[in-house]
Amino acid sequence: MTVNIMQYIATFYSHFGALRFKKACQAAGMEAAVMPVPRELSSSCGSCVKFDSTADYADYHDPYGEIEQIVRLQGRDYLPVYRAANA
Amino acid sequence: MDVKKNNIWLIVSGLVIGALAVLLVAFGNPANMGFCIACFIRDTAGSLGLHRAAAVQYVRPEIIGVVIGASAVALFRREFVPRGGSAPMTRFVLGFFVMIGCLMFLGCPLRMVLRLGGGDLNALVGLAGFIVGIGGGVFFLNRGYSLKRTYSLPKLEGALLPLATVALLLLLVAAPALLLFTEAGGGPGAAHAPLLLALAAGLLVGGLAQRVRLCMVGGIRDLILFREYKLLLAFAAVLVAALVGALLTGSFKLGFIEQPVAHNDGLWNFLGMLLVGLGAVLLGGCPLRQLVLAGEGQADSAVTVLGLLVGAAFAHNFALASSAAGPTVNGKIAVIIGFVVMVLIAVLNSRGEKSAA
Repeated sequence: MTVNIMQYIATFYSHFGALRFKKACQAAGMEAAVMPVPRELSSSCGSCVKFDSTADYADYHDPYGEIEQIVRLQGRDYLPVYRAANA
Repeated sequence: MDVKKNNIWLIVSGLVIGALAVLLVAFGNPANMGFCIACFIRDTAGSLGLHRAAAVQYVRPEIIGVVIGASAVALFRREFVPRGGSAPMTRFVLGFFVMIGCLMFLGCPLRMVLRLGGGDLNALVGLAGFIVGIGGGVFFLNRGYSLKRTYSLPKLEGALLPLATVALLLLLVAAPALLLFTEAGGGPGAAHAPLLLALAAGLLVGGLAQRVRLCMVGGIRDLILFREYKLLLAFAAVLVAALVGALLTGSFKLGFIEQPVAHNDGLWNFLGMLLVGLGAVLLGGCPLRQLVLAGEGQADSAVTVLGLLVGAAFAHNFALASSAAGPTVNGKIAVIIGFVVMVLIAVLNSRGEKSAA
């Protein structure tokens, strides 16, 4: 069976939220890196985490309430897959 | 994602902003002060009668232009998204003390770069303090500092500050008798470019800064946090344009002594900008960035701008602002209070965890 690894970017309300998420990703054996939010994704200038995962995140539960949104990278596009309530 | 295109935008925007600053000085703005968010908010506060320092009273159209320019580009790009609710009073207080730091040094981070371009080496001392302050802010970011999340707000909430700047423009054009103005030759407030030129420059700076997310603190912060140099390109481009402009117009004067609208007390230039660097990281952006974000509908940044405005009024009502003669005792005390307040805010809003990096 082929496992489909997809690339995601998660944006956060705080830099520390991004650091904590990156650490959790890496603890789960996923590739993850903290970086500035790409301009094409948002006009805000905080931190984001770019990570690889096989999950789809549609029903994701954010345990700390730190994630603003998660998008999947598809070519040059960002496909929204998760957004915090009232964000 | 076109990284190269983004970088070109950043460099061009920086060059245009630096060149506009030189142009504004050539057309009447004070020397090395083509653009200064702190000084211009301070002048505006004076013109509205929020302080009575007669030398610095003028509603600067550049400030109005930055907000409206940012709003226009944000609306066009569908990025006008009103949000807020992230510790507004804390941001007000941080904005207040960022202004105290700016008026200790005599300039915001943008003017610091313009002063450097004009050969004012006091700005180099300020830059050193600014970098240390940003490093301090990054220390707290890595230890869980956060002013908590923002929430979606009604359109009107985000539109109120941009609309207020439009009202200010109408007041300046239609009812200037209601405002206070520095008399000719009476100080920096009397030195200004023609209204339409200043407004147009502000619109362009606001639009460009929104497009490229220009932030004078963001470049150094990102370099420390991510080893990412991109935003520094704009910072460097402003410096290059200001330097070339000063050389071309013959206004370049290298040294510490008798620099325009500046003092040469190294310690307090350093500490003033240290306070600005620390506060700007805790706020998530420099004063220019706060104006632009307010233009995008960010209510928290609008509150920060009000903090800057009130800070400017206090600075002149209580003799906290420096002058060419140097810093004041009151100003030094206010900067020290600012450090205590900012560190308390940073500690109380951190999770007390060690870096997760």
